Amino acid sequence: MHGPDIRYYIAIAGMLFVIGALGVLVRRSPLIILLSVEIMLNGANLALIAFARHVGHEDGQVFAIAVMAIAASEVVIGLGLIVAMGRRNIELDVDKLRTLRG
Amino acid sequence: MNAAAWICLLLPLGGALAITLGGERLSRRGAGYVSTLTTMGAFAAAIVAFVSMLGRSGDARGASTTSWTWLEAGTYHFGLTLLTDQLSIVMMLIVAGVGSLIVAYSVGYMEGESEERRYFAYMSLFVFSMLLLVQGGNLLLLLSGWGMVGLSSYLLIGFYQDRASAIAAAKKAFVMNAFGDATMALALFLLIQHTGHLDYAGAFAGAPHGGTIANLIALGLLGGALAKSAQLPLHTWLPDAMEGPTPVSALIHAATMVTAGVYLIVRTHPLFEFAPKVADLAAGLGAATLLMAGFIALVQTDIKRVIAYSTMSQIGYMFVGASIGAYPEGMFHLMTHAFFKALLFLSAGLVIHALTGEQDIRKMGGLGKLMPHTRWVFLIGCLALVGVPPFAGFFSKDAIIAATLQHGAFGYVLFGCCLVGAFLTGLYTFRCFFIVFRGEPSAFVKEHLHLHHGKEGPLSMVWTVSVLATLSVVGGLLQFGPLWHPLTDWLGPVAEPVAEASNWQEAIASIAAVLLGLAGAWVAYELYSAKSMCVPKPVALFEKKFYWDELYDTIFTRPAALAATMLGRFVEQPVIGGSLTMITRDVRVGAGGVGRAQNGLVRSYILALIAGVSILAVVFLATR
Repeated sequence: MHGPDIRYYIAIAGMLFVIGALGVLVRRSPLIILLSVEIMLNGANLALIAFARHVGHEDGQVFAIAVMAIAASEVVIGLGLIVAMGRRNIELDVDKLRTLRG
Repeated sequence: MNAAAWICLLLPLGGALAITLGGERLSRRGAGYVSTLTTMGAFAAAIVAFVSMLGRSGDARGASTTSWTWLEAGTYHFGLTLLTDQLSIVMMLIVAGVGSLIVAYSVGYMEGESEERRYFAYMSLFVFSMLLLVQGGNLLLLLSGWGMVGLSSYLLIGFYQDRASAIAAAKKAFVMNAFGDATMALALFLLIQHTGHLDYAGAFAGAPHGGTIANLIALGLLGGALAKSAQLPLHTWLPDAMEGPTPVSALIHAATMVTAGVYLIVRTHPLFEFAPKVADLAAGLGAATLLMAGFIALVQTDIKRVIAYSTMSQIGYMFVGASIGAYPEGMFHLMTHAFFKALLFLSAGLVIHALTGEQDIRKMGGLGKLMPHTRWVFLIGCLALVGVPPFAGFFSKDAIIAATLQHGAFGYVLFGCCLVGAFLTGLYTFRCFFIVFRGEPSAFVKEHLHLHHGKEGPLSMVWTVSVLATLSVVGGLLQFGPLWHPLTDWLGPVAEPVAEASNWQEAIASIAAVLLGLAGAWVAYELYSAKSMCVPKPVALFEKKFYWDELYDTIFTRPAALAATMLGRFVEQPVIGGSLTMITRDVRVGAGGVGRAQNGLVRSYILALIAGVSILAVVFLATR
């Protein structure tokens, strides 16, 4: 087996995930939140591929591709929403969108 | 012959279905013709069955056919069985024959009503149900027919559905009859439990002789018969049932359905013979009814109600006859009564038709000059009802009165009641006749009389009434106790009479009854003829119909209403309503509390999610 040990990959994947999650939590612009979600997904992807290599099986890579496809479609929807909000002159701030509170 | 029986049963049903499905495609008059023709077809089939029955000897005449097993429960099988024997063929002829005449009459009477198709569909349905009742080969089929005649009676009483009193009368009739149906069903349960059979032969063979069970079975059947035949104490629905159209009163509430109770007693006579006390009770109730109805009829002012009370009274006679074992006499009176009572109702219908719906005899008077034909047929009906020889009622009623003398001491009581009843019959019948037809036409009549193109009624109404008048004159000659008795011989194999009057008893009964009837008529002449056009002072007891309605109101209706109110106030509102209110209130309060967590900030949800996942991860790692 070449390259670094699996643990490094997992550590980086975990860091990416946590960075993304913190981004989602603390930022208020939907655009940034969307970017942070992408970072989280990439962290998960990295973990999948690392494990696939570690186990010596292709399943994980297949999953990674599926995650990419989902990420792409999610971005399409998310950006579509953001464009729609922009068109209606709604302020791009998720904390303002609180109509669903109980 | 069995094919004829099936055709007889199914033709009216086909007529009802054709009218129902035909709807607007069938003209109103066409519906009347479909109904008339199918009923007449049923009558023709009954005649065919009768003729083919004549060709066979006594014991081979009864025949039953099963088309398929209708109901199966464990070891019990109830076939869709038709039984055509001497008794049911008599009933088939009466029902289909009188039925077709009355339906033909309706074509003229109902003309111009807005819903003739519905009327004729109901009529056909009724004829089918009644034929099912009399042709059913086991008690279960009889009960189905029993229930269905109750239904069609309900529908027809409430035919004028925009009239509140008609709806109330229909409901009353239905509830009373449902009570009778229930007691009858209980009797059938007992029969199944103790004999395992509901076909007549099996049930009669296995039924217990005497004892509580036999009494209960007979009581249950008697309950059904009392309700259907409007006898004490379940009689209050019949006078109200006059809310229906007049031909309905003639067909259902005079000629056929209300006599079903008599048919039931004759049909299940072994069960009543096993319980002689119940049979005596039935006879006593019949006698009480015939007296009470006679008294009430004296003060009624509605022409149809007078005839309705006289129907109750005459069925009382039939009950007396059938219960003391004079089955052929009971059936004979059933038959002649079907003729002359249908005649009375239909000729009353001519009067009502000509007066555009007026039924109050106080407003009538002097109609005889304006409607001579109607006067004559009504008079024939009256004479037959009073039992003046040689009209039909004389032969049948006097035979019953004579048979009571065969019944020991109790029989003499019945005999006395029957004779008083005969006097009352003469009195109330001719009271009605004189008030309506004698003297000079009253102002109301002059103003409202509306003859049909100068005739007394449409053709279909006049000829049917004439046929019935003929039958009322000659129908009684079928049987004359001392000399010839074909009906008794004919019914012998099915219902062997227990009580048969001797010749001198016949003579005494006939002379007494005829004299008393004529005396009643004479009193009526003295009181109500043209000389003194007085309408009687109402006697409160009779006017209020012996307070039966008030009694039932006090015993059943008011306590039920009171109990319902109390239950509503003390059970429903606090327990059911209260618990529901509490549940909703608590849910609402809880939801308000939980709802506060739902602050609409996406980030707080995500934080909760991440915190939860972290905690789970820590727990997993710690417990590994």
